[in-house]
Amino acid sequence: MKLNFLFPNKFKKVGWFTLIPSVIIGLLTLIYEYEPSFLDFNVPAIFVDELLFSVNRKTFRMVTNNILNEILGVLIIISTFLVAFSKEKSEDEYISKIRFESLAWAVYFNYAILILTLLFIYDFAFLWVMVFNMFTVLLFFIVRFNWQISKLKKSASYEE
Amino acid sequence: MKNSIKVERAKKNITQAELAKLAKVSRQTINAMELGKYVPSTVLALRLAQIFEVEISGIFTLEDSDWV
Repeated sequence: MKLNFLFPNKFKKVGWFTLIPSVIIGLLTLIYEYEPSFLDFNVPAIFVDELLFSVNRKTFRMVTNNILNEILGVLIIISTFLVAFSKEKSEDEYISKIRFESLAWAVYFNYAILILTLLFIYDFAFLWVMVFNMFTVLLFFIVRFNWQISKLKKSASYEE
Repeated sequence: MKNSIKVERAKKNITQAELAKLAKVSRQTINAMELGKYVPSTVLALRLAQIFEVEISGIFTLEDSDWV
């Protein structure tokens, strides 16, 4: 089975080298609320302050914003994609099957956890859940897929 | 689905790794098929038949559980 949405194998390393520092810096900036002033910019926004259904909503204008968290968020998402969807060294149809199973598993697992947090976590704490939930589907996929692949390699090494 | 890949491999006297190379898949995939953990695609099944120079039905046989 040929999968057309996969990146070449070498992008996996690039992904890891970007993902790990971005996650560490991202967590640190969240914890310490670090917003260096040289990253304050006027940026275009679709919605400002008031939400979608409000009569007072302000749309399509410039706002001043610190873009550090945007940069880190985009970096984390792109590098997660590279790690998750770069070909294995020996990508074949069996690996593809494990890939799809892991992806389905990750979606189920992610939303099961989201239901639990919807029911048992409230207010500002839930906002934190949503922040992490932006990234967790693919992170769960990466963990599950790599675990399955390492299990496969181990089981095959006994044979011959 | 049952298969006789291991038997055919023994007849040809080649290792899993050698068969993997011929069939252009990883050795893990050959191993998983021999253990009955993985049912190959039609393309891979046909490749194996060609490598072993037998009919595809000579390697793969349906079981009752395949009809459920």
